[in-house]
Amino acid sequence: MEAVVCIKPVPEADSRLRVAPSGATYDPEGLRYTLNSTYDEAAVEEALRLREAGAIEKVHVVSLGPARAEEGVRYALAMGADDGLLLETGPGDAFDPGATANLLAGAIQTGPHDLVLVGRRAGDDETGMVGSALGEHLGIPSFAFVTGISVEGPSGSLRLRRFTEAGEEVLSVSLPVVVSLLKGAQDPRTPTLPNILKARRKPLVHQPLSEVLARLPAPPVRSLPVRFDLPAPRTGARLVEYQNPSEAAEKLVRLLREEAKVL
Amino acid sequence: MSPTALVLADPRSPLGIRATLEALGAAEVLLAHHGGGKLVLGLLGHSLGALRETAAGWGADEVLLLDDARLAVFQAETYAWAAETIVKRLSSPTVVVLPGSTLGRELVGRLSARLRGGGTSEALELDLEDTGGIRVRRPLFGGKASETVSLPAPAVVSLRANAFAPPEPPRPSRVVPVLLPDPGAGSAGAHLLERLPVPVSDTPPLTQAPVVVSGGRGLHGPENWPLLEDLARALGAGLGASRAVVDAGWRPASEQVGQTGSSVSPQLYVAVGISGAIQHLVGMSSSRCIVAINTDPSAPIFKVADYGIVGDALVLLPPLTEAVRRVRAGVVP
Repeated sequence: MEAVVCIKPVPEADSRLRVAPSGATYDPEGLRYTLNSTYDEAAVEEALRLREAGAIEKVHVVSLGPARAEEGVRYALAMGADDGLLLETGPGDAFDPGATANLLAGAIQTGPHDLVLVGRRAGDDETGMVGSALGEHLGIPSFAFVTGISVEGPSGSLRLRRFTEAGEEVLSVSLPVVVSLLKGAQDPRTPTLPNILKARRKPLVHQPLSEVLARLPAPPVRSLPVRFDLPAPRTGARLVEYQNPSEAAEKLVRLLREEAKVL
Repeated sequence: MSPTALVLADPRSPLGIRATLEALGAAEVLLAHHGGGKLVLGLLGHSLGALRETAAGWGADEVLLLDDARLAVFQAETYAWAAETIVKRLSSPTVVVLPGSTLGRELVGRLSARLRGGGTSEALELDLEDTGGIRVRRPLFGGKASETVSLPAPAVVSLRANAFAPPEPPRPSRVVPVLLPDPGAGSAGAHLLERLPVPVSDTPPLTQAPVVVSGGRGLHGPENWPLLEDLARALGAGLGASRAVVDAGWRPASEQVGQTGSSVSPQLYVAVGISGAIQHLVGMSSSRCIVAINTDPSAPIFKVADYGIVGDALVLLPPLTEAVRRVRAGVVP
C-alpha cells in the first residue's frame, strides 16, 4: 500500500497582501511562501506515522505550483517522505481548486495511490475542495472532515473517524480512497539536520504541466477571477464610557441591540 | 429560459437543517434578482420518515425525494452521483446551491467535478450571470481579503454558514419521489460502524455558531471560565479561546480560534481578555460585529473591534451576562 500526500505552498499568514494591477487577484510579488501551514504538515505526518506502523510502504508527495514550490516538497522529504513530484506551473498560470484537482489527479493516476491524503484546506483560498474533487477525477471514494485513520478490519480497507454535526462517525472504507483531514497527526515532526541533508538526495521530479495537460481527456474547467478586495481598514472600536461595570454592560447591550442589531 | 436552482438538504442535524434553510433563502434571492425561476430542494437519505413532510414546508417550489438505502450514510461519491441524477432531470441552466454544513462543504468539490462545471465554497454573496454561471464573492486568507470569481455553468457553490437568511415566508412545496437507477454509483464501499454521540455541550460548535464568545489570558486562569460560559449560554454562543490559553493548557485545542485553529465569521464575536495577536485576528476578523473587552486600551484587538470596553473581564462579565439575559427575556434596558 502506498500513500500520496498533496501539499500546496501558500503565502505566510502575516503577509501584507496587495491587489494585483489587474484588480482580479492579489500580487504574489514579494510574498513569502511556506509549506501549507499546519494542515499539510499534519497530512504528511499522518502518512509517515502510518508508514512507521507498517500500514503503508511508501509516502509520495505531490504539489502543483511554480518552481519555488520545490522548497515545500523538499521540506516534506526532510520530514521523511520517500519522493516528490512537482507539477510545475509557468509564469501567469493560475488554476482554481477544481482545475488543480483535475491536474493533480492526472499525475496521481499514473502511479500507485491506495491512500491519497490532503490537509483540511489551503491557507490562502481556503476552499477545502481539492480532496473530494480529486476523488471524482480519480474515480475513487473520498471522505472529508476526517479526524483519525487507523488500520483495522479486513485488508484492503481502512477505518476512518470523521466529524459530522450529528456526532463523530466511525466508517470502514475500502481502498483506494481520498481522505481530507480535518486534523491530522498532532505535533508534526521538525526535520533534523541529517534528514534535511538526506532529503537533498531524495528523488524530486519536476514535471512540466503541459505533459499532464496532454494526458487529460478534456481541458480542466476554470473559474475566472473577477475582483480581489482587501477590507477597508477598520476605524477602531467605539469605546463604551462608564462609571461602574453595570453601566458598561447596559450601554454595550443597548448598542448591540439598537445600533449593530445583532442581539 | 428561466433558471433552476437546486439546493441539496443536509437533514442530519439541527445545524445542517439551518444551513439548508440558509441555502434555500440564498437560492430564492438569487432567482428573484434574475426575474424568477424554479427553486428545487433535493432531499437525499434513507428512511426519511416525517422529514418528508417537514421539508415540504421549507419554501422550495418542489422537493425531489430520493429515499434509497444507498444514501443511508453520507458519502460524497454516492451523493454526487445521486445529485447528478437530479440535475439531469431539471431544465437548464441549473445552479446548485449547497448548505454551509459539512455535507455541502464536502460535496461541492466532488459535484462540480462530476458536472464539469465551476465550483467554489464559503460564498458570502451570489449573483446569477446571463450565461447561467454564478458570480460569487467569498473570503480568503482567513477573512483578511475577499475574492469575486465567475463560475462557468453548471455552477456548484457551497455557502458560508450564517451568511444568508432563510426563505421568508416559507411556502408549501410539491413533493416528487425520484427513483435512482440500478446499479448504483461506483464502489460505494463504506460501512458505518459506529456513530458517536455529540459531546454533551449546551453551546453550538464554533464554526457555525451565529455568536462566538472567546476568552484569553485576561481571564487570569481556567478557573474563571464559568463566567465566560455563563455569557456564552446567555447569548446562545459557541465558546472559543486564544492560542495563548490553549498553549497554556487552560482550554482544549478544539476551542482555538485563529490561524492554527478554527476560522469563524459569526454575526457577533465577543473577545474577552484577548489582546489580538495577528494569528488570532486572521481567524475572526470577518465577523460581522466584534466586541472587545480588555484592560489594555492599546491592545490590537480594539483596532478591529466595533465596540470595546476597557476594563477587567472578571468584573465586567457578570453584569454583561445579566444584561444579555434581561434583553433575551424581553426586558429592554
